[in-house]
Amino acid sequence: MLSPSHLPLSATLRHDRSGLLMRASHVLVVVFVVAALVFAALGAALGDTFFLRLATEALILGGFALSVDILLGYTGLLSLGHALYFGFGAYVSALMLKQTPSFWLAMGVVLVAAAAFGFLTGLIANRVRGVYFALVTFGLAQVFAKVVYNTRALGASDGMIGIPIVPIELGVVTVMSNAPVAFFLFTLGFVTMLYAVSAYLLDTSFGRVLGALRANENRVPFLGYSTHRARLAIYVFASVVAALSGALYPMLRGFVSPELMFFAASGNAVITVVIGGVGTLVGALYGSVILTVLKSVIGTMTEHHLIVVGLIFMAVVIFLPKGLMGFVRPRVARLLDGGGR
Amino acid sequence: MTRSTTLLTLLAATTMLSVQALAADPIKIGVVTPLSGTYSPIGQQVRWGLELATKEVNAAGGIMGRQIELLFEDEEANPSVAVQKADKLFESQKVDFLTGTVNSGSTLAVGQTAERAGKLIATTVSFADSITGDKCSPNVFRVNARAGQQSAALAAWVAKQKPKAKVFFLGPDYEMGRSTVATFKRTIEGLGATSVGEVFAPLDNKDYTQYFGQLRQARPEVLYTSVAGNDTVRLLTQMQDFGLLGNLLVVGASGTVTSQNIGAIGSAANGFGTGVGYSVQIDNPQNKKFVADFKAAYNADPDLYGADSYGLIYFYKAAVEKAQSTETDKVRVAMRGLTWMTPQGEKTMRSEDHQAVQPMYVVQVREGKFNVVGDVAGSEAIGADECKRF
Amino acid sequence: MTSTLDFIQFVLAPQMITGLSLGVAVVLVALGLTIIFGLLDVINMAHGEFYAIGAYAALALGAVGINFWLLLLIVPLLMIPLGYLTERGLIQRVFNKPDRHVTTLLLTFGLALVLEDVLKVAFGPNTQRPSTPIPGAIEMFGIMMPNYRLFLILFGIAIIAAVIVIVNRTALGAMVRAAAFDRNMAASLGVPVTKVYAGTFAFGVALAGLAGVLLAPVFSVFPTMGRDFIFMAFTVVIVGGMGSIIGTVVAGLLLAQVQVLSSLVVSPVWSDPIVFSIMVLVLVFRPQGLFGRLGHA
Repeated sequence: MLSPSHLPLSATLRHDRSGLLMRASHVLVVVFVVAALVFAALGAALGDTFFLRLATEALILGGFALSVDILLGYTGLLSLGHALYFGFGAYVSALMLKQTPSFWLAMGVVLVAAAAFGFLTGLIANRVRGVYFALVTFGLAQVFAKVVYNTRALGASDGMIGIPIVPIELGVVTVMSNAPVAFFLFTLGFVTMLYAVSAYLLDTSFGRVLGALRANENRVPFLGYSTHRARLAIYVFASVVAALSGALYPMLRGFVSPELMFFAASGNAVITVVIGGVGTLVGALYGSVILTVLKSVIGTMTEHHLIVVGLIFMAVVIFLPKGLMGFVRPRVARLLDGGGR
Repeated sequence: MTRSTTLLTLLAATTMLSVQALAADPIKIGVVTPLSGTYSPIGQQVRWGLELATKEVNAAGGIMGRQIELLFEDEEANPSVAVQKADKLFESQKVDFLTGTVNSGSTLAVGQTAERAGKLIATTVSFADSITGDKCSPNVFRVNARAGQQSAALAAWVAKQKPKAKVFFLGPDYEMGRSTVATFKRTIEGLGATSVGEVFAPLDNKDYTQYFGQLRQARPEVLYTSVAGNDTVRLLTQMQDFGLLGNLLVVGASGTVTSQNIGAIGSAANGFGTGVGYSVQIDNPQNKKFVADFKAAYNADPDLYGADSYGLIYFYKAAVEKAQSTETDKVRVAMRGLTWMTPQGEKTMRSEDHQAVQPMYVVQVREGKFNVVGDVAGSEAIGADECKRF
Repeated sequence: MTSTLDFIQFVLAPQMITGLSLGVAVVLVALGLTIIFGLLDVINMAHGEFYAIGAYAALALGAVGINFWLLLLIVPLLMIPLGYLTERGLIQRVFNKPDRHVTTLLLTFGLALVLEDVLKVAFGPNTQRPSTPIPGAIEMFGIMMPNYRLFLILFGIAIIAAVIVIVNRTALGAMVRAAAFDRNMAASLGVPVTKVYAGTFAFGVALAGLAGVLLAPVFSVFPTMGRDFIFMAFTVVIVGGMGSIIGTVVAGLLLAQVQVLSSLVVSPVWSDPIVFSIMVLVLVFRPQGLFGRLGHA
């Protein structure tokens, strides 16, 4: 739960240290990508479909968890309803693709729509902080999920099937969304891009403001920044990241359903981030893979997987509060530090 | 993940070996059903019905000399999970056939997955008309009765009991609840009844007493409801507490009062009537044997989900034996128009929309038991074919 | 004219009485939540599950022949050690972390997942219902009222009054309020703060259990029942004011009326969004809630 800014170091040292930790995150992302490439090569060699699609889903959910970490790790705000934006992206993408199966058009519309939607709902959510933020976001998602659940034009409780397989034109190559290996690689690239943009944004002066905001909210306005605007901006950004991840879901599975925005989905993203490591960004990706594998394996063995996942989650909160990456990352940073000098 | 792939390959290799030692490879049937969550009681009946039939078929030599193997996965009543598990069974376990989905969202989504994987599925539970109607798929079959069939049987009975009745409708406020009410309303109005009001309560509603004012004011003779599960427990017991059950005939959808919630409803369920495709009381030798075996194996009565799931195995067996193959295209052709025996009598798979035609029953609750009080021939209840895709 | 009278007698009046019984139910569930939040600053996401445990305990003990009136005493007493151990064993472990709000919320969220599944393993997935302890109904001015609901309203009001007296008028309550106002000062004045925390948590959990016993005959018992009231209970706690008991009572009764009366005019499905909008409006215009915070008022 601790961000680097909580470490009892002087300001300059803190900056060095946080830069080092960020570099460690980048290294860990490279490790993640390399492992994923090996996995893809193995999958391709074995002619596998299921594991590749499952891994693609894990990546998509990883992108979603990333957006939760942007909020929780960098502003300290826990959203209990962030699946609203994931589901929003999925539904907008599904509706667009049903009209015209054009990937870039769908993603463009999702981007703009999610920014607008995130802005409007963010105005409500950002009136409050702390536990109130958690409860208001929870309520927001409940209300919107209910509306979707009852809207016939959106397929109501059944959701929508028949989302076509889309070609994704990338200049030199075209990736079909039903090709297991190609779509996995594309999603890997896309989610890595989301990570890179997030890391870049949070490393700029804007990100520093956020860090300061987290550490001492009352003093930031004296530095000439509007806390409200900064927080709203990060909220909109997190909404867009969640929605863009969600937009890939109907391409992978060919349908959307209201369950995508239910509390269970929001809760899963929070579990992912906490297990992976809050405030590390890369933890969201590792966490998503861990949780997906865990659920897939345990889910087949017993129908009481909630007990297992719940217990692991509680244990992490108590014994490993910085998550897996909070444990691994400082060690990588130390290695980097030693290697750099 | 790579490790689990290796493990799976190893596992697959060992099972292959042991099976080859026996005889031919088993026929694998995937079952994606809710084993956890709100719908898990239904998933349990599905599981029991399938397992009982599988045990019988395997003991009698299997299908064309091949044993049936059931592979279960929990879908948590969530289409996203259902699709992921179905993908696993199709692609990784290479199942020949798949069944088990309960909520219509899961059935539709898994049906599409099957279509893309070139496999067949059947539902034994979902009763949304759309599954074999406007959202039909060449790869999806339904062996249970759909909402329209249930409505037709029930409306005919209600019209006989209370001719030209004043009917009030109370449904859960979501697509399925609304469409079930709409179907019944249309059918019963066609038989001369008048509607005196309708109200839709939120799903998982806590307190139905807030609608009793409207209900009382409308002074109906018949109440039709399409609430289900816990909601029914609350609705009927609260009506009983408020003394509303006295002169009212309460009827509803097949999922309204089931063997899962009837115990909790208690005496408030007395007199409740519904149109279903199955009752333990159906008087024929197949059903008597089925009920006795089911009770002996699981220490519980079968309900319509258990019975329809049990019958599915015999449907698949008959189709594969007719096709002399488990290939999708051949089995599909064999399934179309197929007639087979089930505990509730003979069923026929209509080839135009993949909807099973079967005799329908009206059951009424007396002292915690579903008594058969009427029946309608399959051809009268089935309704028009609305599938346009094939 | 008759139709207006008819409307009042058959629709409006029963509706408001329904709202009252629903309001009392919501307040019973929210009371423990608000006390825990007011003192410990902990949003107990597992509160709904403790409510469910109370209901199941009543069901199980009722099945072995224990009288309902005894259960009203036994079940809360059994819940006290459970609450005490939860606080000492789980909450205290993360209580002094910098992000206490978030950490304890996460921890109790995990606990809720586990408890819900444990209930299903222990009692099966099917709905169950204890029989109504006071059967029958009375009719007043043409309005039917089941006796048990009438009892529930009166008994609920008595419990609420008792809780207010305990917190505001007893030495025990004074310690709780002191600890909520300023932990360090209370400690230096000799208040055993750690024990007060655990004790208060246990008290809140016992209240949830009591609500479970009382509401089981009306709303029935099933593993996911904990989620039922939780949205409404959270809303009530926020609207009422951070941990204010009076605020919770007022907000609970008011919001329940809003919910049932609005369902007369618009589709009942919109009653949750309406209640939620009220919560947002309160947060915007009066972030501290309708009433002040526990220990500060």
